[in-house]
Amino acid sequence: MIPKKQKAKPRVAFFDFTSCEGCQLTVIDALQYHPELLDVIDIVEFREASSDSSDVYDIAFIEGSCTRASDEMRLRTIRDTASVVVALGACAHLGGINAIRNKQELDDVRHYVYDGKADWFATYAPRAISKVIEVDLVVPGCPISGAEFVRLVKGLLQGRMLEPIDYPLCIECKLKENVCVYQRGEICLGPITRAGCDAVCPMYGAGCEGCRGMITNPNMDAFYTVLREHGLSQAEVETKLTLFLTNQTMSMSREEAVHVEPTH
Amino acid sequence: MNFKIMPKSAFADWVDRLIGSYRVVGPKRKHGQYVFDELRGVEGLELHYPTSVLPPKKYLVPQKEVLLNYHLDGSRLEIASKPEPTVILGIHTCDIHALKLFDRIFSQGFTDQHYQAHRDSVILVSIECLEMCGPNAYCRDMGTASATEGFDLHMIDLGDVYAFNIGSQKGADLFKGFRQAFDAIDTDVDQINHVLATKWDNFPYRLDFDVHEMPALLHESFNSTLWDELGQKCLACGSCTQVCPTCYCFDVTDEVDLLMEEGQRVRRWDSCQIHEFAMVAGGHNFRERLALRQRHRFMRKGKYQMDAYNMVGCVGCGRCASACLAGITPIDVMNELCARQQCSELEPFASVVAEVAA
Ligand code: SF4
Ligand code: SF4
Ligand code: SF4
Ligand code: SF4
Ligand code: SF4
Repeated sequence: MIPKKQKAKPRVAFFDFTSCEGCQLTVIDALQYHPELLDVIDIVEFREASSDSSDVYDIAFIEGSCTRASDEMRLRTIRDTASVVVALGACAHLGGINAIRNKQELDDVRHYVYDGKADWFATYAPRAISKVIEVDLVVPGCPISGAEFVRLVKGLLQGRMLEPIDYPLCIECKLKENVCVYQRGEICLGPITRAGCDAVCPMYGAGCEGCRGMITNPNMDAFYTVLREHGLSQAEVETKLTLFLTNQTMSMSREEAVHVEPTH
Repeated sequence: MNFKIMPKSAFADWVDRLIGSYRVVGPKRKHGQYVFDELRGVEGLELHYPTSVLPPKKYLVPQKEVLLNYHLDGSRLEIASKPEPTVILGIHTCDIHALKLFDRIFSQGFTDQHYQAHRDSVILVSIECLEMCGPNAYCRDMGTASATEGFDLHMIDLGDVYAFNIGSQKGADLFKGFRQAFDAIDTDVDQINHVLATKWDNFPYRLDFDVHEMPALLHESFNSTLWDELGQKCLACGSCTQVCPTCYCFDVTDEVDLLMEEGQRVRRWDSCQIHEFAMVAGGHNFRERLALRQRHRFMRKGKYQMDAYNMVGCVGCGRCASACLAGITPIDVMNELCARQQCSELEPFASVVAEVAA
């Protein structure tokens, strides 16, 4: 429930893993517009904004994906300490852009990036933090939406775990009367992507890349048909779904593979 | 009928005068499409437009509307919306028919006071389409390609002049003190009748059956195999319902400030095509399958609204067909159902006949 004056403010910590820190910057930006949040929380660790640090906290916001076995231990410590763990942004939520490499051989990628020093860097397939620890709440997006961050955090402080939006982007896009980018012969992942960003990419004329992750139960077969009708080859369809959705599409096709087996 | 005639050369003056007294909105071009938006003058107003992305229903049930402001201790509870008097110019007749349906929906049982407040504050100025507005429209089949009521003023383009059919006192008042609108004389009426009578060649029929049969056809098609086929194609994107002038489903949420003192009750458009629409407490979803959502949508359009409000729930504007990336169109769906049911053998519902004839 809401911390009134007599109650201690919840102690909040921000942690980053493999990420660009853009989501933490968005948090700083959101706090400037909503300074009232600072009256009701106590930020005890936030490397992006303060030099304080603490081993004691109630709510942990985690930015970034887990890309090394050694990250797992740090994640578990955070989970054991915090009573609420929030995945902040696409990296933490989905594995993010970092997961693009998951469709390639790990050794090839490491040698391409680190060349002769590849063996110095232990790394594995980037994954969502929910693959390692239990996550209570997700703030989706790359970067997150400041407004949604404020909404979800307010809910959290009121003792309500608000779910992020789970309907497709097309809904928001149509409400704004944007030109559908398909009308210009371009591709958009809006029909399978969660709304909540106010359809910002189509509003500026670009197709959605799916940074907020897929809606529950997307009709992928129908969507592939639409993409093929718009001239994409099978390989191009797969590439199109790679920027943010690599992990989600890979786990979908694994599920499908499991699913069809018994019929043979 | 009571008509005023206005030379087109005077139209800009008239619009400017309206803008002096009201918020005036009308169809404007935006990145190659048309949207209803506020007018600063007659420039930008496009009365000859195919159709708008969203219908003018957005001025009666806004996409997002604060309904109530309140204090949680009960000391304050007030209706938020105080709609501005608004003239909506250039409404196509299909959208006028859709608003007639809205008037019934929002007044049945409890009158929706928020809708009614908007309704009382708008003045509807429609325009007669003289040709089909786009390849997906089928307004003639649905009986909506013309209108004799439901508007405050209705414009007919007679070349050099506009004729205005006066539908209400609110409409007539828009000419108060304006000297360039004249009572129609016999030759004007002849010309109006000529234009209205000869436009029909530009409106092909596209349904393979009579609209009177639509509710019966859907009734018979409840277990059609077509719903599964549509479910396989549909993306569940919700675009079709968002752009539809007869869709009105909404969601209401309470948004409370951080200290849980002040709150707002907000209404937003919802869609029967999305996953969470039919999700109830405990996580059960009674329309999980897309086939069931598609069936529900078309049943609403062609039958359920008739059962509940005695009007067909589709006005044939074609917006949903234009918006659908999967190529699902009501014309194709209805004709396919008809083909599968041999619908010429169906008995029309008596109530539909009464409505369409009225
Ligand atoms: S989700 Fe995007 S903005 Fe946020 S940390 Fe990852 S890459 Fe950066
Ligand atoms: S631009 Fe994208 S999000 Fe918008 S309607 Fe088209 S497909 Fe949907
Ligand atoms: S439109 Fe798509 S890619 Fe762009 S911010 Fe929204 S969800 Fe992300
Ligand atoms: S169902 Fe389609 S054609 Fe019918 S009124 Fe709605 S948008 Fe128009
Ligand atoms: S617009 Fe087409 S694809 Fe989207 S929900 Fe409607 S019928 Fe399905």
